[in-house]
Amino acid sequence: MTRLAGKVLCVDDEPGIVRSLQWLLQKQFEVFTATGGAEALELVKQHDFDVVISDQRMPAMTGVEVLREVRRLSPRTMRILLTGYTDMQAIVRSVNESEVFRFINKPWNISELPKVVAQAITIAKTQPVEAPAPEVSDDAPIVANGERILVIDDDPDMGRAVSDLVGASAIVSYTRNLADAVGILNAEPISVIISETRVGSIDATRLVRLMKSKHPEIVTVMLTAESDADTITTLINQGQIYRFVPKPIRTGYLKLVLQSALRKHSALASDPALTFRHTVEATSAGAMESLMSDVRQAAPHAETAAAAKSGGFMASLGAGFRRLFGAG
Amino acid sequence: MQFRLVRYFTLASLGMFALVALSLIYFERQQGNFFRQTGDEQRTFFGEVQQSFAKQQEESARRDLLTIHESGNVNLTRLFANALWEKDFAPFVAQVQAIDVDGCQAIADITDDQGKKAVPPEKKACFADIGKRITTLPGFKAIDAKVFDSMKKSTVFKIKVFDLRGITVYSSEHAQMGEDKSTNEGWRSAAFDGVPKSELTHRGKFSAFEGVVENRDLISSYLPVLDPGSSRIVGVFEVYSDVTPFLKQIQQTSAQIRATAAGNQQKLEAAGAENQAAVDATSHRQLATIAALLALLFGALLVIVTRADRIIQQQEADRAQVHQQLAQSEKMASLGQMVAGVAHQLNTPLAFSQNNILMVKDALQSMELPMKVAGRLSSILEDVEGDKVTIKVSQLKANLDKLQDGNVDVAMLQEMLKDVLGGIDQMSELVVNLRDFTRLDRAATTNADLNKSLHTVAYIAQTVIPKNIELIEEYGELPEVECNPSQLNQVFLNLINNAAQAIEGPGRIRVRSSAAGDKVRIEVQDNGRGIPDHVLPNIFDLYYTTKPAGEGTGLGLAIARNIVTEHGGDISVSTRVGVGTTFTVTLPVRQQPPLAKAA
Ligand SMILES: Nc1ncnc2c1ncn2[C@@H]1O[C@H](COP(=O)(O)OP(=O)(O)OP(=O)(O)O)[C@@H](O)[C@H]1O
Ligand SMILES: [Mg+2]
Repeated sequence: MTRLAGKVLCVDDEPGIVRSLQWLLQKQFEVFTATGGAEALELVKQHDFDVVISDQRMPAMTGVEVLREVRRLSPRTMRILLTGYTDMQAIVRSVNESEVFRFINKPWNISELPKVVAQAITIAKTQPVEAPAPEVSDDAPIVANGERILVIDDDPDMGRAVSDLVGASAIVSYTRNLADAVGILNAEPISVIISETRVGSIDATRLVRLMKSKHPEIVTVMLTAESDADTITTLINQGQIYRFVPKPIRTGYLKLVLQSALRKHSALASDPALTFRHTVEATSAGAMESLMSDVRQAAPHAETAAAAKSGGFMASLGAGFRRLFGAG
Repeated sequence: MQFRLVRYFTLASLGMFALVALSLIYFERQQGNFFRQTGDEQRTFFGEVQQSFAKQQEESARRDLLTIHESGNVNLTRLFANALWEKDFAPFVAQVQAIDVDGCQAIADITDDQGKKAVPPEKKACFADIGKRITTLPGFKAIDAKVFDSMKKSTVFKIKVFDLRGITVYSSEHAQMGEDKSTNEGWRSAAFDGVPKSELTHRGKFSAFEGVVENRDLISSYLPVLDPGSSRIVGVFEVYSDVTPFLKQIQQTSAQIRATAAGNQQKLEAAGAENQAAVDATSHRQLATIAALLALLFGALLVIVTRADRIIQQQEADRAQVHQQLAQSEKMASLGQMVAGVAHQLNTPLAFSQNNILMVKDALQSMELPMKVAGRLSSILEDVEGDKVTIKVSQLKANLDKLQDGNVDVAMLQEMLKDVLGGIDQMSELVVNLRDFTRLDRAATTNADLNKSLHTVAYIAQTVIPKNIELIEEYGELPEVECNPSQLNQVFLNLINNAAQAIEGPGRIRVRSSAAGDKVRIEVQDNGRGIPDHVLPNIFDLYYTTKPAGEGTGLGLAIARNIVTEHGGDISVSTRVGVGTTFTVTLPVRQQPPLAKAA
């Protein structure tokens, strides 16, 4: 029996939960439990955990708060959030503040959970940690050296806002349709994707997820006016999105997000090993095909640059997809 | 109370119209009366004018007649005097002067019982004697014949002659000879002033020259006889002339005028009556027109008001429906929240129970082989007589790791199952509380233990409100309260939800109960943000909310107050900004009979 392969901390205010997590994981890992945030953080200070699994809904401290503190105290520790009750605000915060590795829904799958934990432990043990980000203030200028940023949104103001923020230090491409986005992604090395969850009538999260699985060094920021918790859960688990920005967007906040996204990208680019910390779950089968057919259907109606060209558009689009994401 | 627009309008306007109609009729009457009165006055005046005119006409005609006859008589007298006085009467009168009359005249007049002077009979007889003496005088017969001769066939009926003493020296009616006229107005005027005096009289019987005549109008004139050649009065004539035909004519004319006047009056009256009738008719028409217009106005207004009433009622119904829909949607929203909370609450025991059972199941599976081995071993041991047995272990060795896998910690499995039982308890507690909360299987109004209700609500609320809000239950001894518990549950849930929503971050909600006399008191206290002064007066208003759209409908407290009031209770609030808020619900233990039915 391969035991004590890693140190795991399980946090939940319900003793039944932590006990059963312990029973489930103790065969393979060294498991600690805590029934409150304070107790958990105390343990984090004493031990060097590879993974912390925390429930979201707890008295005194929420799971997001616990994981945020864990990230601060022990950056190399991988963070997993356990949620039963979908609370949008908590999820958005878990993405932005705690940079969680995975969401696990209650009740969990008893054969999957140990595998996710094992994967997280492997990453924690083998992959380097990026240097902790210095605190950034609102008025600090954006640091960039010619990175390419792709903005995908129905609203052209979004592209303009991003251009205004980065100025000449980065190159901003704006598009309102996914076919163009595929073209741009093929043509240029993109560092940051800022995308609305829905573009036109098409679910754009699939593109982001697919991109992330092939190009983990791309940092993704999602914008949304309204979204459901399931979408974000999927985005985190399959797309490892870097930040989630609810609309309406305040310029100050967008600037902050852009700044740290660019920094994140330069860290990932300088040390490709870091990207393992953002390993994604296997994208659901057929995601590329369904995205491709959606884009094709929408293409004749969209005023795309490609549409103006010959009838070879479909062929070139298909080729673009294949080049981007491989054979599928 | 409902405002009965149509009814009130109908009553008020009909009353008003009746008043208007009455005053109109009154004023029309007044006007008609005034018309009639002035018409009557005018007619009377006109009639009087006509009558006085007719009278004046007759009087002046009579006066003219008198004047004409008088002057005719004067001329006649002159003629007569010229013809008879010198030769015949003068000597005759001179003869009469010789007769002494002083004796007769000395007889005093008497005053009768009515104060009127009258001539006593002996005086009359005295003068009659004198008259007889005169007739016996010579020359009387000749004079008398001459007079008769000249007066026959004339309108003169009688002639008398008086001397300056007033004695009748001659009369064509012989019986009157000797009569004393010295006190007579006419005689005096003629004898002393020389002024003729005439008088119109009507006589039933009169002895004229040609005999006695009947029913005659006569003018008698006293005329002075002047001595021819001088203007000395020497005697007095009295001439009676007949004016009956003239007078008749005058009377006829007068009657004609009168008749015309009467005709005019009649015409005037007819015209007046006609006018009056016309005025009356006009006023009636006017009244009828106004009445018709008023009726039309009433009809039109009634139509408008009825329509407005219908629209108002429709709007009322619409609003009620919207309210109901909103209340329904609020119910659905809080129901959704509750369901989500309950789902989460259920999810936790479900998660670990599932995990544990699956693990126990796996463990049991891995124990299958060791159990089989142990079973086989025990049956072998049963058959063996001695205390040694030889077992071939080659097969067992091949399955060694499986046997080792099965070497599970049974105590741990028992722990797992104990947790599962605990989880099931949690789930059933939830189910019981849910059932108590909804109370769908209970009577609406019962005697309820409100502490139990409060606990149920607190339990349900806890599934929804954030976990860093502590809910403290402090219940006092309570009597059973007659109420509709499912409605009160809604009140308590609304209050606890509001309290939780007022708290940002960690906080504390206290739910307290206590009894005081025939009342119970329930308090929900929070240490949230409190209610600012400008918000406080509105919190119980329907749809008043300070929460963003989609989070609050503003129905919570309005519904709570409604329910509490229906129970004959009271809900009040005390708050301090930044410190917290306490809502207090006071309920009577027993319901008033009508409320018990309504609740
Ligand atoms: N405990 C409290 N503390 C502070 N403010 C309160 C409290 N309870 C009620 N209020 C104020 O009273 C307002 C009206 O409350 P009410 O329960 O009627 O509606 P709501 O809570 O806004 O909406 P809903 O109950 O329909 O979700 C609230 O918007 C809030 O401003
Ligand atoms: Mg409320």
